[in-house]
Amino acid sequence: MQEAIVFSLNVSYGIISLALLVLGLAIIFGLLGVLNMAHGELVAIGAYTAWAVQSAGLPLLLALPVAAIAAGAIGWLMEISIIRHLYRRPFDTLLATWGISILLREAIKICFGLEYKSVIEPVGGSITILGADYPTYRIWLMVAVVLGFVGLFLWYRRSHAGTRVRAMVANPMLASAVGIETAKLARRAFVLGAASAGLAGCLMAPLIRIDPYMGVDYLLSSFFVLVVGGLGSLQGVFIGSGVIGGAETAASTILGGTGGYVTVLVISILFLWLKPGGLYARR
Amino acid sequence: MDRRNFLKTTIGALAASQIASPTWAQGKPLKLGFLIPKSGPAGIFGPSSETTTTMAIEEINASGGILGRQVEALYGDAGGAPSDTVQAAQRLWRRDGVEALIGQHDSASREAVAAMLRGQLTYVYTPVNEGGYCHTNTYSLGETPDQQLAPVIPYLAKEHGLKKWYLIGNDYVWPRGTNAAAKTYIAETGGEIVGEEYHPFTVDNFDTSLTRIRESGADAVLITLVGGASVTFNRAFASFGLDKQAIRLGTLIEENTLAGIGEANSNRMYSTAGYFDALDTPAALAFRKTYYDRFGADAPVLNTLGEGCYEGAMALRAMFEAAGSTETDAVAAAANGVSYTGPRGTTTLSEGFAASDIYLATAKGAVFEIVQRFEKVAPGNACTNG
Repeated sequence: MQEAIVFSLNVSYGIISLALLVLGLAIIFGLLGVLNMAHGELVAIGAYTAWAVQSAGLPLLLALPVAAIAAGAIGWLMEISIIRHLYRRPFDTLLATWGISILLREAIKICFGLEYKSVIEPVGGSITILGADYPTYRIWLMVAVVLGFVGLFLWYRRSHAGTRVRAMVANPMLASAVGIETAKLARRAFVLGAASAGLAGCLMAPLIRIDPYMGVDYLLSSFFVLVVGGLGSLQGVFIGSGVIGGAETAASTILGGTGGYVTVLVISILFLWLKPGGLYARR
Repeated sequence: MDRRNFLKTTIGALAASQIASPTWAQGKPLKLGFLIPKSGPAGIFGPSSETTTTMAIEEINASGGILGRQVEALYGDAGGAPSDTVQAAQRLWRRDGVEALIGQHDSASREAVAAMLRGQLTYVYTPVNEGGYCHTNTYSLGETPDQQLAPVIPYLAKEHGLKKWYLIGNDYVWPRGTNAAAKTYIAETGGEIVGEEYHPFTVDNFDTSLTRIRESGADAVLITLVGGASVTFNRAFASFGLDKQAIRLGTLIEENTLAGIGEANSNRMYSTAGYFDALDTPAALAFRKTYYDRFGADAPVLNTLGEGCYEGAMALRAMFEAAGSTETDAVAAAANGVSYTGPRGTTTLSEGFAASDIYLATAKGAVFEIVQRFEKVAPGNACTNG
């Protein structure tokens, strides 16, 4: 019984943490068609922000807005300086953002050094759920992320801004013809995607290894999610995270860590081959 | 001055400078190369290694240097892949002309550096190591599994009635060597191994391992994870409530790692090493006082790895002075049986390893408390790669 509870909590954690990490990439790709290779570095910047805030002796809660603003500001700089010239040139944006990712990684090395950092969780210890101990911080994280996703989903479906974004996504030319400022909207979407990557890094910081190369790991797992879930929708993010996160956690429980990773790779390859649009294709 | 006189004086001066050159070399500073981790998972050991090295060099120079020469420390980063450490070692040796290397880094890098040096340079390896190896002109001062585990496993097994051990470590030669030794000692206490696993340095999710430890019913976990990996594992271990099920014993959980793990997650955790900041022998207290007076109360906390760098410099001085030279052959001829006194007490070199006292400590919150002292434990030097 205890094992079953811990296992299902682990699976939920795997799925939810992955969805959180993918969100930024999915927003930018889904809405703008830009494959942001610097996504992982934006996550890293969020995590380093958490470390910096904590080592300055400030409460970790303060790191959340700081991380979102820092990553969002970098996203804004990326957009106005480089990305906006490259919309509708997918391969060029790929190369450009890849270059930016290297730049950001080196900047992180200069600012924070090469060694591993660790962030102490704001709420330590464990909660006992039906006789099984589970880390308190993870429970809080899962609750917060699920609430955040629900809010985002409702906003996107119901609000005026959401409608305009959807109009821009469906037909950019027509959208600008009816008076929607697509350039401004695109910039906001990009900044939002970057900020949510930073936020994800900040939230995950107490649970992960923080070093300058961490970004690559998160970029890869995020890609797998998009491959499975389909590109460009919140539903796709959740379905993709469910398949990848669930399969990885379940397979590693049975086969060990390496086995879990192999399973994820095999699933991704099968999807690219047999169902390239993913489970929840937009078009 | 006429032409003839000019020639005479010039030649005279040249000849004099030739004759004087050996004495001039004597006056040249003695360069020592320190390979310490400034990056990667072991990066948390870097700052304390640097401060203790600085302190050792200052003390040696204040007391007249080594063989009458002032000593200068040069550093190389040993936190990355073994091939990077080898490059750093080569730069120190070939370009900077160091006369000995002192290494405080992982065992995989030691194998690579020793293979590159092929005995051409005296190489003092200071941290915890798996023992059982030997390289020409390489001297290991750190704790071996025979020292850390032979007395400690029976002690803990008796104290807690331990029967089921789970072994977890990073995937390289030191954890595997340590666990090979551990299996013998565990078997001798009548215990059994219920699990054994090795992880790459980059792993930061130990959920699977924790599930396995829970299911295995282990009552003791021997941890040979390093630095950041150890911090992540131990935090998750306690937050999943496994500290109630099993005690933890680490052979490289030092003060920095403990600080990272945090007081909330250190329940029922033991560490075994030759040195702790909490050590209260007169030699250790004196060392401690000098250190914190010199670098301030918020200096990098003292630990067995940092202290090892200090010992490395002191051992090298003892070896060079016993040999009366920095030549590798002379040092090798004189090294066996050389003793020096450091914060651990008197340490004696034998067959490339060092016999020293070993301590078992337990975490009380975020600091260690010494539980037991084991005197002059032999390093066990069954050399298998002659």
